[in-house]
Amino acid sequence: MGKIIAIHSYKGGTGKTLLSINLATLYANRGRNVALLDLDFRAPSLQAIFKVHETEYWLNDYLNGVCEIKKVLVDLTQTHGKRGRLLVGLANPSTEAIREMTAKDRKWEMKALGRLLSLKTSLLSDMSLDYVIFDTSPGLQYSSINAIVSADVVLVVSGTDVSDIRGTQRMIDELYELFEKKTGLIMNKVLTEVLTSKTERSELAKKLLNSYNLPLIEMIPCFCDILRTGNSSIFSLENPEHPFVKTLDRVATNIENL
Amino acid sequence: MSLPRKIDPISTTLLQRIKECLDSLNEKMEVMIELQKHGQRLTQDGVPDVLDVMTLLSLPDHLRKTAVTLCKLDNATADQVAEQTKRARAVESGYLNQLVLMGYVKKERRGRKAYFYVEREENQNGVKEPWEKS
Repeated sequence: MGKIIAIHSYKGGTGKTLLSINLATLYANRGRNVALLDLDFRAPSLQAIFKVHETEYWLNDYLNGVCEIKKVLVDLTQTHGKRGRLLVGLANPSTEAIREMTAKDRKWEMKALGRLLSLKTSLLSDMSLDYVIFDTSPGLQYSSINAIVSADVVLVVSGTDVSDIRGTQRMIDELYELFEKKTGLIMNKVLTEVLTSKTERSELAKKLLNSYNLPLIEMIPCFCDILRTGNSSIFSLENPEHPFVKTLDRVATNIENL
Repeated sequence: MSLPRKIDPISTTLLQRIKECLDSLNEKMEVMIELQKHGQRLTQDGVPDVLDVMTLLSLPDHLRKTAVTLCKLDNATADQVAEQTKRARAVESGYLNQLVLMGYVKKERRGRKAYFYVEREENQNGVKEPWEKS
């Protein structure tokens, strides 16, 4: 049985989407069958990044009970998969859809949780996928908590900003632990000089262990050349030898062993 | 005072019946205590609360574990829930019945077995979608 991985963070802009996309393509290039789902209904981004111009159904439709999940998935294996299947479920980026999703009531959210939970059967069992990756909304809102409850593994992405660290700490104590989630921490956009100095690196690792009490999966440096691409292409496919991709490759292995 | 050496069959049956009644009473008391502590909550509109993630977060740890497991299983007996939570069947049965009384979970008897579930999903026409399990 495969795994559902939710990539989450306390604050926005931590790099969840970049990590989700590149992790999904890395797994597909390892020959794994992967579905990447955009669960950030307030700020959908996968449609623009993967340049999918036409889709009959969105993930919004699946959660609304309009269609089954298979109808939502766009097969990008030809262009992005290389060895394994890469399927993508997109969130509707129209303002109307975003507005509609933000106005859902609690009963709807309960049904949405049921639908997300049933993905374990429809995607992992019936379609034999190895990984389903949820790219979530930041913070504590319905869609992200639903995603966390439905996932087998949660990767929490944090920056070194003090407000991010404190918020993430609270989220671990008051959310992940209550749901007994297998959780790993990724520190993203860490200053290169911190990572190149052995002392500073180990001090930061110690501080993180004290603050979070979570396994530290990886500390990823801040790469200006990634920012320069502006997510206009899939970085790991265009730059397979880049240190970011090598680091993410270790993350992928670590998750496989979690 | 010395105990009688041998209890006659009628007394044994009677004692067994008393024990069953006490067990049943005990279970009901536990449910009442739990209901007093975390009883069925109503929203501001007077509508019963739903078992969404915010409710799950507000439940005590022991009931949350049962409720999350049931959400994952969709429709299950106390045995099936106990298999997942690694707790005793009788314990899960008690917790599931508490969730039923709190209004979060439904219970349905099929033959000799009791099945628990979170209210079925229905589309706007009140009809189950074709891909959903019956």
